[in-house]
Amino acid sequence: MRRNLHYIIIISFFTLCTGCKKDLLNIENPNTPTTDVFWKTEDDAQRGVNAIYAMFYKPALWSRWIYFRLDLTSDEGFSKSPWVELGDWTRFQYVNYNFGEGNVFTWKDTYKAIFRCNQVLDNVPNIEFANQEDKDKILGQAKFLRALHYYYAALLWENVPLVLKSSQPDDLPLQSTLPEVWAQIEKDLKEALEVLPVAWDDANLGRPNKGSVNAYLARMYMQQHKWAEAKIALDYFFTGEGAGRYSLVSNYQDNFTHTNENNSESVFEIQFSDVNKTPEDADGPSQIMSSQRAQFFAPRSIGWSDGQARYWIVGEFKKENTVDGNLDPRLRYTLFYPALEADFGDKIYGRSWDWDADEAWFRKYARDYFRNNEDYYAQNNFRLVRFADILLLYAEVLNELGNTADAVQYVDQVRNRVGMPALAVNHAEALLGQDAFRERLKVERELELCGESVRWADLKRWGDLDDAGKVQAVAERDPDFKNFVVGKHIRLPLPQIEVLNNPNLKQNSGY
Amino acid sequence: MRGIQLFAANRVLQGIITTIFFFFFLITSLHAQTTISGLVKDETGAPMPAVSIKIQNTNTGVSTDQNGRYQITVPNATAVLVFSYVSYVTQEINVQGRTTLDVALHPVENALDEVVVVGYGTQQKKDLTGAVSVVKTSELTKRQVTTMGEALQGLASGVKVRGGGRPGSEARVEIRGLKNLSGTNPLYVIDGMITTANRDFNPNDVESVQILKDASAAAIYGSRAANGVIIITTKKGAKGPMKVQFSGTTSMQTTPRYKLAQTEEFARLNYMAYDNAGAARQDLDLSQNTDWQDAAFRTGNMQDLNLTFSGGGESGNYLVSGNYFKNDGTVISTGFDRISFRVNTQGTKGIFSIGENLAISNGKADEISGNPIADVVRLLPTIPVYDAANPGGYGYGNERRARTFGSNPVAIADLNDSYNENLRIRGNVWSELKPVEFLKYRFNMGYETSSDHYAHLRKEGNWSLNQEFQPSIADENRARFQSLLIENTLSFNKEFGKHAVNAVVGQTYQRDLYARISGMKRNLVPDGKGGYYSELDQGNEPQAGGYRQEAIILSYLGRIEYSYDNRYLLNAVIRRDGSSRLGRSNQWGNFPSISGAWRISNEKFFQKNWINDLKLRASYGRLGNSTTSADQVGNSSANYWDYLAVINTFSTIAMGKDQLIYPGATQVALVNPNLRWETLTQKNFGIDATLFDNKITLTAEYFIADTKDVLTAMPIALTTGHDGRPPIANAASLKNTGFELSLGYNESSREFKYYVNTNITTLKNKVTSLGYGRNNIFVGNTVTQVGQPAGMWYVLQTDGLFQSQEEVDNYKNAEGTVIQSSAKPGDIRFKDNNGDGQITNDDKVVVGSPWADVELGLNLGASYKNFSLTMNWFGAFGATVYNGYHSLVDRFDDNSNYRAGIQPWTPENPNTDVPRMYYGSTLNSRGDTDRWLESGSFMRLKYLSLSYTLPESWLKRVGFQSGQVTLSGQNLLTFTGYKGLDPEFNNTNIYERGFDNFSYPSLKTYSLGLQFGF
Repeated sequence: MRRNLHYIIIISFFTLCTGCKKDLLNIENPNTPTTDVFWKTEDDAQRGVNAIYAMFYKPALWSRWIYFRLDLTSDEGFSKSPWVELGDWTRFQYVNYNFGEGNVFTWKDTYKAIFRCNQVLDNVPNIEFANQEDKDKILGQAKFLRALHYYYAALLWENVPLVLKSSQPDDLPLQSTLPEVWAQIEKDLKEALEVLPVAWDDANLGRPNKGSVNAYLARMYMQQHKWAEAKIALDYFFTGEGAGRYSLVSNYQDNFTHTNENNSESVFEIQFSDVNKTPEDADGPSQIMSSQRAQFFAPRSIGWSDGQARYWIVGEFKKENTVDGNLDPRLRYTLFYPALEADFGDKIYGRSWDWDADEAWFRKYARDYFRNNEDYYAQNNFRLVRFADILLLYAEVLNELGNTADAVQYVDQVRNRVGMPALAVNHAEALLGQDAFRERLKVERELELCGESVRWADLKRWGDLDDAGKVQAVAERDPDFKNFVVGKHIRLPLPQIEVLNNPNLKQNSGY
Repeated sequence: MRGIQLFAANRVLQGIITTIFFFFFLITSLHAQTTISGLVKDETGAPMPAVSIKIQNTNTGVSTDQNGRYQITVPNATAVLVFSYVSYVTQEINVQGRTTLDVALHPVENALDEVVVVGYGTQQKKDLTGAVSVVKTSELTKRQVTTMGEALQGLASGVKVRGGGRPGSEARVEIRGLKNLSGTNPLYVIDGMITTANRDFNPNDVESVQILKDASAAAIYGSRAANGVIIITTKKGAKGPMKVQFSGTTSMQTTPRYKLAQTEEFARLNYMAYDNAGAARQDLDLSQNTDWQDAAFRTGNMQDLNLTFSGGGESGNYLVSGNYFKNDGTVISTGFDRISFRVNTQGTKGIFSIGENLAISNGKADEISGNPIADVVRLLPTIPVYDAANPGGYGYGNERRARTFGSNPVAIADLNDSYNENLRIRGNVWSELKPVEFLKYRFNMGYETSSDHYAHLRKEGNWSLNQEFQPSIADENRARFQSLLIENTLSFNKEFGKHAVNAVVGQTYQRDLYARISGMKRNLVPDGKGGYYSELDQGNEPQAGGYRQEAIILSYLGRIEYSYDNRYLLNAVIRRDGSSRLGRSNQWGNFPSISGAWRISNEKFFQKNWINDLKLRASYGRLGNSTTSADQVGNSSANYWDYLAVINTFSTIAMGKDQLIYPGATQVALVNPNLRWETLTQKNFGIDATLFDNKITLTAEYFIADTKDVLTAMPIALTTGHDGRPPIANAASLKNTGFELSLGYNESSREFKYYVNTNITTLKNKVTSLGYGRNNIFVGNTVTQVGQPAGMWYVLQTDGLFQSQEEVDNYKNAEGTVIQSSAKPGDIRFKDNNGDGQITNDDKVVVGSPWADVELGLNLGASYKNFSLTMNWFGAFGATVYNGYHSLVDRFDDNSNYRAGIQPWTPENPNTDVPRMYYGSTLNSRGDTDRWLESGSFMRLKYLSLSYTLPESWLKRVGFQSGQVTLSGQNLLTFTGYKGLDPEFNNTNIYERGFDNFSYPSLKTYSLGLQFGF
């Protein structure tokens, strides 16, 4: 009996194993969809494009490190961080080209964003949409965002590979020259311009519209000194479809807080939110959507204080008063500086000045207006482009095209909002010629846009870093520029690990 | 230890029969005779039943009873008694008129009669055709260790073990070096259950350990055996009344320490660094003199208590054991404790046997927070441990007084604490049916499950300068792991004259499941006593998550062993495996092996008295691997669906007028969809010899291991936009060649007994190809290129210091360009290897290998009367390693503490290799230079023990049968030139194997152990 039982067991098990079908080993992943079931529906397309925006929240891009490249490397800011290597990357002391926070992470996150764009651009054309316009808008957003990421890559490294298709693990893309990169950005932006709307409905406010695209078209042309093309792009705001849609907000501070976002001055903003408080660089559930800029730029003992503002900016503000004889109110909202409490009655995160007499920190995007500390979850939208910038760019383009007289009104609009007198009042000499106007415009841009991540592009565009004499002048404001080698530090070194592992890449010259 | 119970049973039977005959003779003879009685004990002092005792040159003999006692009548006072037992050294003792004679038997080193478990069967050691090491458990159980792996160090050639050090951490075991780039551990088979011998397993339950080292030995485990197999059999009960064994060990642990500057020296050097840089000095708090190592480190201790009950009858036996283990770590707020419980039973009726092994354990680890090993260096002696002015009340960096971002380890331990707890049930049930003598069917079902709990509490408060505000946070995850194994095997074992055939066929199936949920809350309610109500009902801003993993391996196996006249041995194995972890078109793999041996010593033409046994063997085998190391915590697909490209659905964005949250979804990580088996093809040539009356044993092996298509993460271009760990690829093929020699001498026939075993392993690894058709990969400061060993150092070369401005100005290339024009006297001179007149990344060269050329193990043992001494040495020679500690402490650009007694370059003190102190510039401190490379050679006394077996007379008085006291120590002595904390550090990144990045050092342990039996 027992023996029979065992024969049954034996037989049943050998039967079981012959019954083991091949698909026993094909276990579905129960956790998440695979790529081959995705990219089928309109909703998939929408989610795919949304995922591109999520790249803004990555530490190496717009929640943290890119401000070190754009604000601190310029003559507006610098670093006194006890983390010396972090500081070195704001003062042209590039030793280890693989330094993550200074170089590699931003490079990597840029291409992560581009991979997300490429997926949308490769897959969404195959999805059937009820309404072609919806499909075009999604493709338009992906093109705009790809152009945006390449724009900043072009500013930082210049000779970057153009990756335009969804990647494979063994891809080793070819290097492109800066003009090739600009051409690709131009192509993407022009195609985006065709399909993106003049304005989005309330639910989609914050996505790029024709104004956002034109702003970046203008910036891209201006970096190449293609003034006529830039003017065409900017005409959109003054004589084109965008005319009358934008205006300066009456309270300058509204451009930097979370309480008046996506306002009439906004041309393109990164939508930050403090809803998810998760680790800052994870691709896991409940992803973080906030900015850490303020935590990294807040004064010592409040934030990491890895970056701060150069003190010369305070002096620049104090050279001129408003029509009412007061200090320029932009100073109040731009900087924490020793006399802030004396000048305007504001404390610094509830404290009186506790730092050196010649120090200053960026106040824009700080949250001292409603709290006494910072953390990694700042919710204020970062205004990548606002109308004041457009006005000043337009003025610059007109001036470069020889139309200085027309240009003046746009600068005056910006000054007028904060109660500053027309240029003619204190700066009559600036109206006399193209060069004089350009020099004045440089100051105007500084006063209006300090700490808004446009200065590095401005310095490059103006050619202020193109010869030793000019660099010497910059170095008087920011001694870090004493380290600046003309022709070398105008661009970052490519990550060494990329140059080593991709034989198609050549390190930037001088490195 | 006593071989297999089957043998013991036969002995008992034989003993009974011989005893009956003996008494028959006793009655019929009328000679005047002497009766001798006594006790036979084993090397641990435990009584040995069934030991055969014969009168020399007669057929008269008896055996010992259950209590190890015997009585024998000898014809005269000068008779010689022969005591023998399988696997033990036979002893011949002249009676010399005594009436009581107690004997202690010692196991034979590398006994040829030893039965070796080889997976789905056993073999006699003399019949082995592959490379198998048998670890002496008598050595093993004396050691004070947390995990099984740790206990193996030094006990088998070609097996390299690096203990974890941290409480509850698991040792890393590497069998015959780098065959698998992903660095996974060997396969553990515990009583037939395929699993891991992690910290939940009690090493005291081990009866025997065998290590299958080469492909022919391991081939029966096919795809799962590429890193070798460790087979563990747990203890069983033996026939007889209940035996009780108690063992207890208490230990003290100390961590090696850095020699760091105190305030006075620190301040002098720090001022110099600022002065040289032209920077204003910091306002150091000279009233403080904190020794951060005193604050973060402590003397650790371990307690290990075991109680085992065992016994059995004719048709069955049982063993019940309990263990309590506790370890307070050498870093504050770390610890591990384990309670485990085991029941092993088996029974037989007729042709049918059934048995089970079951272990239940609960382990809880108080995990280390932050990295105190690095933080004690980063913090300055001028910072106090406590500072009421800071949120949380702990001292740390200060902008004016101590500019460092170092984290206060005391603060982290308090403010950011976490623990892990696992309740594990592991066991198997087997049954055997033996319808005829030569045929056996075995059904084995193994099951393992664990219930895992992780909890973390973040209290409000800071531990480093300028830290961001964080509210209190509680987070927990709970998980369940399950593994089910079903095996059916049929074995055939028969001799036909001089031909002996042993065959096994079978089928196995194993399914692993893991599922986890996690939750987190913030802003907890304080409990008014410095803590919080941290259950997840409290707090707000909840987050939840969870995932599931599943994998299946399905296999068929067969083995045939054939021997002719004990002279020619042949062994062939085939295994076919299917794995769910591989690309769908590559799931199945075949893993054959064949091996043969020629026992020359059994040939008629080769009869030499001084050669007891001589065997030549050769083997060829193929193994596979389909798993990769699980180093990506929280990635639900890693390791299970590496071949499947998935959509990450976790992006969220804020959009619209009201900033509502919208979901995003995209592919984040690239994959290689066609992942195929990693295979290891190994050829092995060996010779085994036993010489001079079994006193000398020698094993020599040469092996060539070709690993193809290593499954591991391989870095890809960042321009791909891939995120996370690089995709798993069939990344490389490697060739390992090595030579292993074990030589032993043992003298056990005299009262002073001793043995010496040495083993030497040499290993060369060479990359034969790389994934994606690449010729090289650069990772960190290393390059792995085809034709070279993996992970070679690739750095700038330094060439001393500039002693004067003149030297700086004269340091020119061929064209006369001054190479380091901005250097000052006291700065490092770098070699301009490409002669372009500047120091750039293009000047980097390959300067050394992180791999040891030779590894040496040395085991010594001696015993005299009741004392015995054991010693294990381990050494590795020829590796070049990167001293992460020096690269931090000697930077000077950043504020961290300095080495005590360091002599930086000054005009007055130019004879030094340390550059001038300079705060705030990384030019002298760059990490990618050979300044941080050192020889990693070392020789270490891994283990030393002295045991005393308590005298029987004393034991009797307290009612015990056996007793032993052992004093032992681990890592007591290290000879090395390496200046880091521990030359035996552990880096799991295969491309940076030689990078000592503040890994947890090996600890010194002093133990006192007691063993009693009654």
